[in-house]
Amino acid sequence: MSDESEPSEPVVHGALMGGFAQACVNLNIVAGRRATALLADIDMGRWFPLSKWMEIERMVGESYANVEPIRLKLGIEMMTLWYHHGPGKALIHRGADFLHFQTGSHGIASVIRGPREVVGSFDLAEFDSERGHAVIRSSTPFDKTIERGVLIGGVMAPGDLYYVDVTNDGDPNRLVVEFH
Amino acid sequence: MTLDEILEGRDPDRLSELSREDMRRLFWMYKGLLKRVERDTAYWQATNDNLRTAYERLDEQERELARAYQTIRQDLEIAQQVQHALLPKDHPEMLARFEFSVYHKQMTEVGGDYYDFYRLRDGSHAIGVFDISGHGVSAALIMAYLKAQLVQTMEQVSRPRDIVEYLNNATVGFLREVRRYATVNFVAFGERTFRYVCGGGYGVLVRGGEVHTFNKGDPFIGLRRRAYSEYELPFETGDVLALYTDGMVEAQDSAGADYSTRRLHELVRTNAELPANQILQRCLDDYGQFRRVDADDITLIVLRRRAA
Repeated sequence: MSDESEPSEPVVHGALMGGFAQACVNLNIVAGRRATALLADIDMGRWFPLSKWMEIERMVGESYANVEPIRLKLGIEMMTLWYHHGPGKALIHRGADFLHFQTGSHGIASVIRGPREVVGSFDLAEFDSERGHAVIRSSTPFDKTIERGVLIGGVMAPGDLYYVDVTNDGDPNRLVVEFH
Repeated sequence: MTLDEILEGRDPDRLSELSREDMRRLFWMYKGLLKRVERDTAYWQATNDNLRTAYERLDEQERELARAYQTIRQDLEIAQQVQHALLPKDHPEMLARFEFSVYHKQMTEVGGDYYDFYRLRDGSHAIGVFDISGHGVSAALIMAYLKAQLVQTMEQVSRPRDIVEYLNNATVGFLREVRRYATVNFVAFGERTFRYVCGGGYGVLVRGGEVHTFNKGDPFIGLRRRAYSEYELPFETGDVLALYTDGMVEAQDSAGADYSTRRLHELVRTNAELPANQILQRCLDDYGQFRRVDADDITLIVLRRRAA
């Protein structure tokens, strides 16, 4: 599938899938032969149906009784990998930059494609670097706790901030970022 | 004094000298650490809970496995008893004419080596030794099947060649379907001779200090429909006959060398003057010293014709 075509079915880029799968392996959510099979199945240069991502999300959910802290860690681990072992370090230099990057055209929008009503949006609604406050409105199909982890991990990765937290503030699609 | 200098010098008493900005940094550093600890604690708690659940599941599965294993063990013990019951026991008529001794050992509870003594329609005595391909339960099932087929076959024909041919024709379809076959060594005794049919089996006659090895070139049971050859050898008082499967002669020592037919035949030849049970024991003692581990079912039958 080329980058130009607009797929009728939602798809996720292999780079994102690969990071997600590798994070699952690093955290031992999958291990042994299942881990090998999971990683072997993902070509970082291809697009995959969104259903495959959802399948892994479901697998994570089924593996833990108390899954929320795991999902959060999974998002953080994904972004740690992206920054230290992927292109992240070359793309952002300060933690706050990640918020602009992720909500821009090279962020989430570049790794998920398909009908708008399914892939949703990921927008920076508020940003105040003085107060260390930002708000992101997200209607992507991804798990919101993983998404919180992604934001925490991405903002923390450059190492210039002392404090980062992301809360939902009662509205799962409204991600409130606090960074100092 | 800056925060970095205080932290490097490990001098908390000088915290009051920090600037307002450094105090703010310290505050967020501390809060950041608390937040990380909070997230990590939640993560490890969830992981730990999951580990406990996994161990509990593992315990339950281990118990289920133990129950299943016990059931299989019991089934195998019953299968072993059934298979033992299918092997020949007392044969006073055979004992009246032949002095013989049998060693029969399956590698697992049940196996694919099968031997039996028969009384043919013409009144003569016979022995059949079979080695079914594979081991364990599947081979044991084929053994029971072959025994049933042999009983029917004996009601129809009495010459060794006819018996083996009839048996092969009756079973080849089924055996090919289940991808199994069996070696055969069928010997029928006359007054002063015996006739044999040998498809992959092993046999040796020691007579007057000389060794006569069976011609084993005929096909195995279950491979294809084909005519079998029948051979006749003299078998008189004092002659010794040994019939066996490949388990013993193909066993290896720690260096990887086969026990070999030559070694076994030589043992039978040099001990041919002993009673049959002692010949068998000499063979087993020698084999026991040789082999590293049994890798196959083993059957060895030693016979001597008694004086008339």
